Amino acid sequence: MKKNLALPRRTFMKAAAGFAGSTLFGGLSFNAFAQATALAPADHCFVFAYFNGGWDVLLSLDPRDPAIFTAERISETRILPGYGLLSGDASFPTNVVRPQGSNIDFGPAIGRMANHFDLMSIVRGVNMNTVAHEVGFRYFLTGKEPNGSAARGSTTATEIVGQMKPTVPVANIAYNIETYNDRYPGYANALRVSSSNDLLLTLAPSPTALDSEIERELIDMHGRHVSCEADLYDSRGLVKQYRDAQSQMQTVLSAQLDRYFRFEDNASDPAAMRMEKAALRALYGLGPPVGNDLRSSPAARAALVATALKRGVSQCVSMNITGGLDTHFGTQLTHAQNQRVGWNALGDLVTDLRNSPHPSGGNFMEHTTIMVFSEFSRTPLINASGGRDHHITNSCMLLGKGIKHNTVFGKSGDVGLSAGLIDHKTGLPSPDGTQILPDHVIATVMKAAGIDYAITRVEPMAGLLA
Amino acid sequence: MRPAIVFAAFALSFALGCSKGPTGAADAPGTLTPVTLPTDHPVLTPLPDPEANGGHAGRAPRRISVAQLKQSIVTVTGKQWSQIDNLAASLGQADYALTVSDSTEPNLVFAKFLDDGAREVCLNVARDDLNRAQEARVLWPEVPGTGRDFTTLDDATIAKNLATLSVRFWGSPFDADELVAWTATFKKVAARAKTTNKPEQAWGSICVGLMTDPRFITY
Repeated sequence: MKKNLALPRRTFMKAAAGFAGSTLFGGLSFNAFAQATALAPADHCFVFAYFNGGWDVLLSLDPRDPAIFTAERISETRILPGYGLLSGDASFPTNVVRPQGSNIDFGPAIGRMANHFDLMSIVRGVNMNTVAHEVGFRYFLTGKEPNGSAARGSTTATEIVGQMKPTVPVANIAYNIETYNDRYPGYANALRVSSSNDLLLTLAPSPTALDSEIERELIDMHGRHVSCEADLYDSRGLVKQYRDAQSQMQTVLSAQLDRYFRFEDNASDPAAMRMEKAALRALYGLGPPVGNDLRSSPAARAALVATALKRGVSQCVSMNITGGLDTHFGTQLTHAQNQRVGWNALGDLVTDLRNSPHPSGGNFMEHTTIMVFSEFSRTPLINASGGRDHHITNSCMLLGKGIKHNTVFGKSGDVGLSAGLIDHKTGLPSPDGTQILPDHVIATVMKAAGIDYAITRVEPMAGLLA
Repeated sequence: MRPAIVFAAFALSFALGCSKGPTGAADAPGTLTPVTLPTDHPVLTPLPDPEANGGHAGRAPRRISVAQLKQSIVTVTGKQWSQIDNLAASLGQADYALTVSDSTEPNLVFAKFLDDGAREVCLNVARDDLNRAQEARVLWPEVPGTGRDFTTLDDATIAKNLATLSVRFWGSPFDADELVAWTATFKKVAARAKTTNKPEQAWGSICVGLMTDPRFITY
């Protein structure tokens, strides 16, 4: 905190002349500035949802008809859908799911997410080049193949925030998921949270409360102009940035946003907020009678994402939506149930966003791009232990703004779910095409966001862009 | 020609009159006495001319790192913020697994958590000070007596204590105008602290203001 104040008066005056007019904040009252930073949702929001452990795409995004891919034909197809093995839970369909009007087939674990076929594209036949958890996971997070297992570059969410520089208070949230920043200033860093409680800590008033009038005096103190010399030393804007953050903090606290993220009913909340939260609990099945945990369940995570976007807290939310998918042993049913929990939560999130009007017009899904991914898929054949091992050919889902809807792009082989050559303009298999890699998926997301995708060093898949 | 010589001689004598040697002793013709710098004076590096420095005065200010913040809080208050290690990653500390460089961005999350920490530390210190003798106090060392009613303090005592605190927290004193404003603020919070019977909030809230000021977190 020592300062070198050896600045001659002549030098000071010379610099002050050049600096005059750039101290915008100095001319505004603190309250006026705080109002100028009022919360508003980002015009283009992003959600990155990760299924932890490596999903079985036969159960959701890349199904096969069990009447064709039978146990008798295994030696020929090297694929066994195994939908009959889900009979222990009667709620699972025993065949491929295709909602009316859909151009997309889904597996039986897709759950309520299938209802949103009209907003999504499924990318099939993605070559992950790895069957190691952390490598595939980091590859999809960054769009760059890791060095060994070490991630290269920034996560896509960080890249988006870094380039778009949104004004929302916590632009980038990473919920129980890794996040990297290799080239942007700290504003693009994600707030890493491992539970809803971490986010509440940021949004809630300090646990050490002061008298309300003293609080007001402190706020005024923060906005006080110090001196022209101090302004000059801050000509690069670090102090201004900190003061902006303080005023944004006051805006967030005065909006009492934490109350929206405490999904339980609270008699002290205003009536309108209680009704809103009751509707949210009903939609996501939080608390009784459905019983999803209010803080840590996949449904609560999806509700948190929706609330963060709708309340103008964040622009990009990355989350680990569900886990328990690394099922080398045991039954197909466990994997299907775990996967369906994640899809149902995401389905409810999309329902929520499409039912919520965006201040700029339309609904939130018209302003949101969602990418759903896992590190790799699971083998198309069941192993001797009743589970499935790691498989290199993967699928992913893209939804919402900037993406073509109700579309399947790419294809995995009908023998052993192999990755093939795909024409990136049409999404159809072609001997002149190239393989689909996570790099292409990320480039497509970045292109849909309208930002520079040069860091991926590939072209986006033109046929996927709206 | 003659007036020009007279003017040059006059200008030379004037210039010599503006330059004082450290001892004031006159130099012998044709010799210069070396200037002896005082041994206890810090060496100051002159700041570059703003014109040669992109229009900026001096180098770019920096936010302190989490490690520096942790040490600074203990240095100025004698107490540690209990949550600083738990929140270190959110405050910008690298974990060298996912993040390999410290972030020193003064963003919203940093501002919020620092505010939480300042309140915790300052009010704890203020409560301790209420039971300390004057010479052992951290937040009002210049205030005589052991009274808990700070509304009776005169302006000079308040100003003296504020000046001490500003040097302790920031390494530099208040400007005169700023001192007047902080004195007025202190009077208001002291009156409120008396009304609510929470005397620790009088100097405690000033401590929060000092610790969340940009001068505490930049260098």
